[in-house]
Amino acid sequence: MDKSTIICRCEEISLGEIEEVISNGAGTFDDIKRLTRCGMGPCQSKICNCLVANIIHEKTGTPFHEIPLPRMRMPISPIKLETLATNSTTFSSVKSVLDEVELEDGKVR
Amino acid sequence: METSYETIIIGGGVVGSSIAYHLSERSKEEILVLDKKFPLSGTSGSTQAWVWVHNKTPSWYAEFNMYSAELYPYLSKKIGDIEYKRTGGLSPFFNEADREKAERLAKAYKPLGIKIKVLSREEALEKEPSLNPDVVGATFSSIDGNVNPFRLVDRYMRAAKKNGVQYSTYNKVTEIQKQEGQFTVVSEKGTFVCKNLVLAGGTWSRVLGKLMDVTIPVNQIRGQILVTEPLKPFLHYTISGLRQAFNGEVLIGYSMEQEGLNRATTLDVIQETANLAVHYVPSLRKAKVVRAFSGIRAMPEDGFPILGKIPEVENLYVAATHSGVTLSPLIGTLMTELILDGETSIPIDRYSISRFR
Repeated sequence: MDKSTIICRCEEISLGEIEEVISNGAGTFDDIKRLTRCGMGPCQSKICNCLVANIIHEKTGTPFHEIPLPRMRMPISPIKLETLATNSTTFSSVKSVLDEVELEDGKVR
Repeated sequence: METSYETIIIGGGVVGSSIAYHLSERSKEEILVLDKKFPLSGTSGSTQAWVWVHNKTPSWYAEFNMYSAELYPYLSKKIGDIEYKRTGGLSPFFNEADREKAERLAKAYKPLGIKIKVLSREEALEKEPSLNPDVVGATFSSIDGNVNPFRLVDRYMRAAKKNGVQYSTYNKVTEIQKQEGQFTVVSEKGTFVCKNLVLAGGTWSRVLGKLMDVTIPVNQIRGQILVTEPLKPFLHYTISGLRQAFNGEVLIGYSMEQEGLNRATTLDVIQETANLAVHYVPSLRKAKVVRAFSGIRAMPEDGFPILGKIPEVENLYVAATHSGVTLSPLIGTLMTELILDGETSIPIDRYSISRFR
């Protein structure tokens, strides 16, 4: 592999980019993800996570069992919003901004 | 690594890193940032990152946010590309009763220089054709926008390091003592001494305060956010509830739950958030969600920033706030002024921790 080898195919992140953020202090897959977008694409790190663990291991000497796995996120595999939606238009914990504008004596507080 | 610093900042998120960067611009003294994990692993890395002003209340708080939003174009020139864009902010409403509220808001904020336009249904749809045609109107302000939070914190960090700031990460602070005019900060990786100590622990502020027997009344609010696959650019504005990023992803979410530090995502809120998305922008129905994430936001007991000196302990400072992304350029600037000059160019007395006593 050279510096330009693509590690994350979804986001086209190269080995060089990953090594650079490791030398800047990133120690886990998720640190690298936030700084480079490696693993943030459609496959959600299913393809690159072992490759990245190997890079962290080689670059920092951290044993594999001490390198945390990436945090897996729902819905694991991409799913359409209409499949998730229940079409309800009443919201409990989800708010709109104007709901938060409070009036006091008919005036904006 | 040095063990003696002029200033130590505990917390390397958007607030702590902004203070470190702004301080390093003006001061050549040694600065250290300590983070229990790694910058962006907490609140700062799990946000939609709106730079939002126009319907925050009350008016003096909106004004404070405006001053910070005004600093963003200048900041991005200084620290590099943070994908800041002043898109303008649009808050749609779906019942006629909200129009009066919106009109009052616009009227109340005009004297402050925050221009809010209350749009009719037609005007709202003309601005943002993808909005639900059932929309009744919207408030609009050109000052709002958004930023890439990862780029923002990374750039603060890199700019600070370039100016000589040191970062020690994965390094939890376990003990703080104050003796003979200096602080001794004990961490997992070593003991440091400093003259000034800044607590910028965000959601962890209470825990940090306890190390100094100070109550920093900051609670936690959980927000859950959905991210879609990259879509062609079609949303022009930052809409309260969703926004489209540079790479085409749409981020959706406006939820608030009191769940302590539990960062789980839950199906019920994910479904409600999906409902919000298709209610606001029906064409999102066919868009695929790639991931859901949640972030724990810092929420001071009364909702407003806690900034400034902690009066009981000389040279001890606190900066803990909600809306850290919007406020970070201003908080960094003002805390720097406070530390170096002893006073700030914009009064922050209102945000003193003393108000809770």
